[in-house]
Amino acid sequence: MMTTADSTPLLEVVDLRKTFVDRYFETPVLKGINFTLARGEMVAMQGSSGSGKSTLLTILGTLLAPTSGTFRMLGQDLTRLTESQLSEFRNRYIGFIFQHHHLLPDFTALENVVFPHAGRVGRETRVGLERAAMLLERVGLSDRKHYRATRLSGGQKQRVAIARALMNEPSLVLADEPTGNLDRDTANQSFELLTEIQRETGTTFLLSTHDELLASRCERRIRLLDGVVVTTPAH
Amino acid sequence: MHYSVKVALRYLTANRLQSTMLIAGVAIAVMVFTFNAALINGLAEFQIQRVVGSTAHVTLKPERRMPAVVPPRDASAVRAVVSQRALQRREQIKDWRAVESILESLPDVTGISYNVLGTVLATRGQQTVPITLKGVEPQRLSAIAPIDTNVVAGEPRLGLNDILIGKRLADDLGIGVAQPVFVQSDQGRERVLIVRGLYATGVESIDARLAYVNLDTARVLFDYPDGLTEIEIKLADIYAAPELAERLADSTGLEATAWSETNQRLKDALQGQRSSGDIIKFFTLLTIVIGVASALLLTTYRRRPEIGIMRSFGVSQRFVLSVFILQGALIGTLGSIAGCLLGYGFSALLAGLPRGADGSAPLPVDPALGEYPIALLLAVVASVLAAILPARAASRVDPVEAISQ
Ligand SMILES: Nc1ncnc2c1ncn2[C@@H]1O[C@H](COP(=O)(O)OP(=O)(O)OP(=O)(O)O)[C@@H](O)[C@H]1O
Ligand SMILES: [Mg+2]
Repeated sequence: MMTTADSTPLLEVVDLRKTFVDRYFETPVLKGINFTLARGEMVAMQGSSGSGKSTLLTILGTLLAPTSGTFRMLGQDLTRLTESQLSEFRNRYIGFIFQHHHLLPDFTALENVVFPHAGRVGRETRVGLERAAMLLERVGLSDRKHYRATRLSGGQKQRVAIARALMNEPSLVLADEPTGNLDRDTANQSFELLTEIQRETGTTFLLSTHDELLASRCERRIRLLDGVVVTTPAH
Repeated sequence: MHYSVKVALRYLTANRLQSTMLIAGVAIAVMVFTFNAALINGLAEFQIQRVVGSTAHVTLKPERRMPAVVPPRDASAVRAVVSQRALQRREQIKDWRAVESILESLPDVTGISYNVLGTVLATRGQQTVPITLKGVEPQRLSAIAPIDTNVVAGEPRLGLNDILIGKRLADDLGIGVAQPVFVQSDQGRERVLIVRGLYATGVESIDARLAYVNLDTARVLFDYPDGLTEIEIKLADIYAAPELAERLADSTGLEATAWSETNQRLKDALQGQRSSGDIIKFFTLLTIVIGVASALLLTTYRRRPEIGIMRSFGVSQRFVLSVFILQGALIGTLGSIAGCLLGYGFSALLAGLPRGADGSAPLPVDPALGEYPIALLLAVVASVLAAILPARAASRVDPVEAISQ
């Protein structure tokens, strides 16, 4: 618990709206989202299928622009940055974990983990490789460092993805159903790993899940309902 | 090595078959490019050498004096101008000794011939044929065309009563070595000459219409006691001819013509060949562009999800762009290096084929003239250009769409 001392919220979302518009339909998905994330929190986001969890996470991850509203992270209004500034911000402060692990298939586990760092500084540095190796060890994969991503099991891939999300020491990790694709036992182990790492690093986690049991193990829960956030008090 | 190079290389090695075929495609295009260049340039060089091998590189002739322009008032005045021109027609190089000293001081000159040229009617039995006689100093007989080495009958000697005739012309006249020919010049002088030898240089204008006599014989026949009608010069570097001609025209006041000016047909032929060669080169480059672009577009499409992931962890659009441009550049570089080697090898193979009976190569390919640096440069540029479209498409992949697939 390193950063909870700082009382300004890490993330502040104000009246965020997203309406998908195409030629025939207007689909309002987020209809005025308001919530904050404190530093070091682990928050579960629940909501029925189609309620907009993935949409919200991609907006907060700066991959998708909101229709209106603002969100500030680390004091920066992220709705006002250019594409390349967002890229840079994402690289420094945000880590993603997806349901479908999404590793780069032609790269080894180690290379996948070091990529966000190497891509920024222009090469694989010794420091970067050491950190990547340390992270792989932390997720229990030091013996699989040099395996191609395609030669890892589903659970192993997800653990590599977790390590990769943490590579650049992000302030916020966004996880979209990180265990949704794994069997019960593996899901439990992965979740256990996530909570441990979260506690060790003090990183803020926002993860979406359909799993009531896992959600109940987070410090706090928010629920998406009809396009707005309904806060549920911690258990 | 920048990290984008590593990623580009990884992508290329991840799909060995596709990359190999792509590189092979570029290599074949570059091979065609370089072989085509070696052939067109070799052919041009061959044609030039054949022409310049037996003709003068610079020819000096008397300056063409313009008759004083007097506007003729009536018919008799016109007649006067015409007869005036007739008198001036027999222009000649009078002070050629001065020219000789200039020429002999030039380092690039490899041969000089001082000539008196004229037309005679040659009679043999019932037949009378007009032929051009070229009077040369016997010791300089082969200064311009290699007559002495191409004598097929008799010997290359020019005594005062001797004549050397082209094989074709001799056949037309029906005469052989040691036989007499009766000639009558345009100055009305007559003489009987003995055929000393027959030559066949392979050049039509020399073999079929020309005969050589001693310079002194020509002086008598054409009534030029001390002047010359032309001076022919051969150079070590044929491409220096136009510039030298200009310089000689200035310094001697004579009319100086370079071989390249008098051989308009050759020039046209070379230009035509060069143009058709350029079209082939253009299409080989186009093939590279289309091949590389389509293959990389497919790659881009296949790798959309991965590109989306990279973008999601903050890899910049510029990085993605450079990964794909670099793939094009790598393919272009490897392919064109291989292509140059293949082109050289293929050209050398054809150039080394056994020669025909006349000593000429079956194809006048010159492997040294394959324009390899240009081929390399253009192929790499073409590959990079071809990569721009796929690279832009890659850099614009929407990460959200790619991830949700
Ligand atoms: N690009 C799009 N264009 C139009 N509508 C979209 C687009 N993306 C998402 N939607 C709509 O937005 C709504 C929310 O989708 P989203 O993927 O955020 O839901 P979710 O809560 O993550 O669902 P799940 O739990 O099934 O993953 C859905 O009704 C979906 O159809
Ligand atoms: Mg979802």
